[in-house]
Amino acid sequence: MPVFDYSKREEHRLSNVALVTGGGRGLGRVLATFLSGQGYDIVITSRTEDELQDVAAPISAMGGKVNAVPGNINDPNHRTRLLEETNLMGGVTLLVNNASDLGESPRPELVHASLDRLRLTLETNLVSPLALIQKALPQLQQTHGLVINITSDAGQAGYERWGIYGSSKAALDLVSKTLAAELKPLGISVVTVDPGDMRTRMHQEAFPGENISDRPLPEVTLPFWAWLFNQDRPTLSGMRYQAQGTLWEIPVQ
Amino acid sequence: MRREELSFERPTDLFASQPPEVRGQSRDDVRLMVTWPEGDNSHHEFTDLPTLLKPGDLLVVNESATLPASLPATSRLGSICLNLSTRFSDDLWIAEPRWSPSRPGPLPLDEGDILQIGDSTVKLLKSYPGIPRLWLTHFSAPTSTLMSMYGEPIHYSYAPVYPLEAYQTLFSRFPGSAEMPSAARPITPRVHNMLLAHGIGITGVILHTGVSSLEIEDETVEHQVLYPEPFHVSAATANAVNVTHARGGRVVAVGTTVVRALESAWTGNMMRACAGDTSLYIHAGTGVHAVDGLLTGLHDPVTSHLAMLSALIGIDRVKEAYQEAIRSRYLWHEFGDSHLIWKKRVENN
Repeated sequence: MPVFDYSKREEHRLSNVALVTGGGRGLGRVLATFLSGQGYDIVITSRTEDELQDVAAPISAMGGKVNAVPGNINDPNHRTRLLEETNLMGGVTLLVNNASDLGESPRPELVHASLDRLRLTLETNLVSPLALIQKALPQLQQTHGLVINITSDAGQAGYERWGIYGSSKAALDLVSKTLAAELKPLGISVVTVDPGDMRTRMHQEAFPGENISDRPLPEVTLPFWAWLFNQDRPTLSGMRYQAQGTLWEIPVQ
Repeated sequence: MRREELSFERPTDLFASQPPEVRGQSRDDVRLMVTWPEGDNSHHEFTDLPTLLKPGDLLVVNESATLPASLPATSRLGSICLNLSTRFSDDLWIAEPRWSPSRPGPLPLDEGDILQIGDSTVKLLKSYPGIPRLWLTHFSAPTSTLMSMYGEPIHYSYAPVYPLEAYQTLFSRFPGSAEMPSAARPITPRVHNMLLAHGIGITGVILHTGVSSLEIEDETVEHQVLYPEPFHVSAATANAVNVTHARGGRVVAVGTTVVRALESAWTGNMMRACAGDTSLYIHAGTGVHAVDGLLTGLHDPVTSHLAMLSALIGIDRVKEAYQEAIRSRYLWHEFGDSHLIWKKRVENN
């Protein structure tokens, strides 16, 4: 008995295009691969071309469409190039600002922190994500897209020696919530996601020399992403989620 | 708590293999054991339930209806069974591949493997993090169509499969559960009417329950990973719970799914309207706050359900009650007998 095959129906829909920054390893890598498995076309970027190719090769081998574009997210020309790529693919529907700068390692106390290094952290974690959203606005408006800004509990807690990274994420949280309100009339949704502690290179750099093998691999967040990508986006806009939390809440109207 | 503390032995002839109505009885023709806060147990018929409650008490039922979520599939291992557990969208589910309804996995399957259902395909995207028996699965055809064409209710070795109606309750309104939220099964229209006549309130939540077949595998009970389930607590139900508490009435969850939904919506001193997905794990370490009692069935050893019961009265009293149920030949599982557990420190007359 034939079953209606709606993979064919997909051809008549707008394609789904995801742009994932920091896509060369860790969470970005897992997310890009997972999205591709569900039929998203992918643009990934990071500064390290080798790592990007390691992510892109298996995606291509599985028949996925992926475009690996190495470069620095703080370079305006690179940001322009990324969005030209997503535009050629049909327009970005999912923008994941995942690339982050931890700052100095080991992490300094604020009174001893390098101010130049602080400016670089803010550039990477706050200014560039906003710049990418500004630049992507026409595409996001056309696709009624979703922006996901990756945040951290360090942005809320006030942990000692986390002030640099934490303040950049606190600012990103507020930028996201403000954008959610401002972009609602345009049909664009914005959420922030705290992925929680994970066994990644960034986490290792945050705890140099320490054993972090008790932290879960970034795959632990996949059920959350599976959930998030299938919710009604405008309903969730402005929310902040913990991917490893016990409650992923939908605002009750 | 250590894993073996949730372990107990029970004869297999206490597994209910038939719904009472198949034996020509009524659905409410089951027994009801009550475990009181002090730990003593008493024995009743299920139809005594209204007299065991007081006017002003509130029953909260699960309004989720059961899906025909068990699908026959073929894989490179041959014919297998794929039990859908938790829906993210019509083509993306958490699912449990099994050798057959009665024979569990885990199966030696790999990421990227393709299963066949009819002439459509299912891709195994990723093993579920922390629960190797489950997979994140992507379907080429809508699962709603596949279920209507090929699905049957999930069933296990202790009972044959019955028509889908056997897995619905009086309150089943919103399809979405992989398995029957079975605690309300014996509430027939006549029991329902008696409850209302006694001044007992009845209200609903929705929690779409996933597969229940998973034993706790972690040696430390509290470390076990639980998967998320979609739920909804309406403003009306939240208000009913708050008013019941304020007036000194007791809130009785009908089923462990209702406890999970209500505790997920609990703010620390009151209930609020809440929806989303919850993977809240309720055990002795977390306690329960929103409910005063639980009407449920009899649960398998080494399951998260038992950990939840221990949150109400402590694991020792749970095990004493289960020994009493075994001695008195109560029947286990979804077609079996009922168990009303009052939370410790609750006043009753």
